[in-house]
Amino acid sequence: MKAEAAVPSGSPGEGFEERQVEADGFRIRYQECGSGEPLICLHGAGGLRTSRAHDLLAQHYRVIAFEAPGFGQSPVNNRSATIQDLASTMASAIANLGIERYNLMGTSFGGRLALWLAIQHQERVKSLVLISPAAIRAESQDAGAPAPAQADLLVAHPERQPPRPPADPAILAKQSALVQRLGGPSRAAVEDAMTTLDVPVLVLFGTSDRVIPPEMGRVYREKLSRCNFILVYDAGHAMDIDRPEAVASVVGDFLERGEGFIVKRESSLIHP
Amino acid sequence: MKAALFSLVPYVGPAGQGMWPVPVADYSTETAERSMQLSLEQFELADQVGFDWVTVAEHHYAPMSLTPNPMVMAGALTQRVKRAKISLLGADIPILNPLRVAEEFAMLDTLTGGRVVAGMLRGTTNEYVTYGVNPSESRERFEEAMDLIVRAWTEPQPFGWQGRYYEYRAISIWPRPVQQPHPPIYISGSSPESGELAARKHLRLGFAFTTVPLASTASRYFRDRANAEGWDPEPDDILYRVAIHVAETDEQAMEDLAAGAGTRRAAFATSNRALDDAAANAGYYGRDAENQRARLRVLDLDTRIEQGQLLAGSPDRVLGQLKWIRDEMRAGIVDLIFAPVGREKALHAIELFGTRVLPRMREL
Repeated sequence: MKAEAAVPSGSPGEGFEERQVEADGFRIRYQECGSGEPLICLHGAGGLRTSRAHDLLAQHYRVIAFEAPGFGQSPVNNRSATIQDLASTMASAIANLGIERYNLMGTSFGGRLALWLAIQHQERVKSLVLISPAAIRAESQDAGAPAPAQADLLVAHPERQPPRPPADPAILAKQSALVQRLGGPSRAAVEDAMTTLDVPVLVLFGTSDRVIPPEMGRVYREKLSRCNFILVYDAGHAMDIDRPEAVASVVGDFLERGEGFIVKRESSLIHP
Repeated sequence: MKAALFSLVPYVGPAGQGMWPVPVADYSTETAERSMQLSLEQFELADQVGFDWVTVAEHHYAPMSLTPNPMVMAGALTQRVKRAKISLLGADIPILNPLRVAEEFAMLDTLTGGRVVAGMLRGTTNEYVTYGVNPSESRERFEEAMDLIVRAWTEPQPFGWQGRYYEYRAISIWPRPVQQPHPPIYISGSSPESGELAARKHLRLGFAFTTVPLASTASRYFRDRANAEGWDPEPDDILYRVAIHVAETDEQAMEDLAAGAGTRRAAFATSNRALDDAAANAGYYGRDAENQRARLRVLDLDTRIEQGQLLAGSPDRVLGQLKWIRDEMRAGIVDLIFAPVGREKALHAIELFGTRVLPRMREL
């Protein structure tokens, strides 16, 4: 799917509507835009932030971007003990929306969450997109999830971004504590679990990612039986901010055509 | 200090001069075959007398060079040049398929057991007409393609590429380069943008179609930028391409050159003014445009010697000129194109250089 239509005008995420759903005793906030097949989006450690990429995907999909309990302005989450717990809660939230089968996309910490959700509920997940996923820790990183990175480190070209109001330090601290606290299996156990996943997966890493080295993508490719690993050139950890059109295009193509998306279908005919 | 022998593999017969692209008029297949054999002879002799490298390049649609595809010529050389490195300076990256380039370099490196030097150039403006590529996209295509080529050489698992100018879904090249992590990469260093790129990406720099004063300024800029990035270029990181003729005496050398002067041809892009103007207007030359266009002008013999575009004289004099290049720009490699003075004299010049200059260059 190429983004044939013009990029929607207005600020990123403007077309999304605010909604809520209950699951596991949490009141869970989400933003929704578009129609068609559902695309569930799970955010990174910095919280929910819809981008131009979400806008573009909403032209062809029913995009539902959740705010996981404990993030943003939601109350502190002391109940989810592990990443699998939180994944289970999100699966319930999706089911409570009446959605039985869906595409699932997770970014960074949300990629870790999405991977576990997919492993636990394979029958519901049509395809999985992992964007700069933090599911596997590099040997060099400390135990525990990577701490949310400085804003400037997240994008390849901070000089191209419009200025944003600084985030609330209390919210950042709350989110950071939750991410650090959520336990999970060892790297070996994660990789073992990955071999059981029989769902098509697209893994994207930006060539300029300064939070997780893009070379990590090769581990996903190796461990997952149905995985395509694609490098997004000149994009950082927050690739949907750096190169929204490129990201939306490859994700959309993968969602539409699955593993067959490796075959080019755009015409190269110049004139009849 | 090291020496490479470079040949454009020129068509050594009467051919149209003037506007590029040059018509294939009065073309003789025997002349073309003989031209290739003459260059192969030069390459083999260079290998025998101790040159460190042999070099080929990419130029299209003109009798000045019969190697529009340097990979093909390099392939031939892998079987005849047994010791010297085989250098391509370079492949014209923005007009080529980067994955094909990656595969070809990997094949050459595997055929030679790791003797390839991977030059990656943008190409002169006429090369954009060759395969119908927009010259305003030159630098962006170049940078992206180079990143992709290095990934294709080094990524152990299949991967795709979602770039600005290149999009691929599943890449896994076979073979891989022998050299680890990959063959050394040289880019052209004449423009300030290139110096910055090379400093940032830790690449090596080559200078061609320029003068010693201009190259020295560019070399200094490159070294400053590299220092700012935290590294210090070594002599092997800087290469200077220069024409040369060596004879027993200075006078003999000048005589030989004067006799062969008629065969020199104008540089490619400058032989089509409308083309070069169009490419310049498309932003091809970057922020230092005036200097970048000026350095491609053809100069007379004496000026060329004085400006360091041509080394000429006895072995002693040539050694002195090499020392000047070494001092001025800290170049560790000279890429020598032997002047067209006739087959015998050129071969003699190569032999003289190998036996009477090369051994003394090691001390420079």
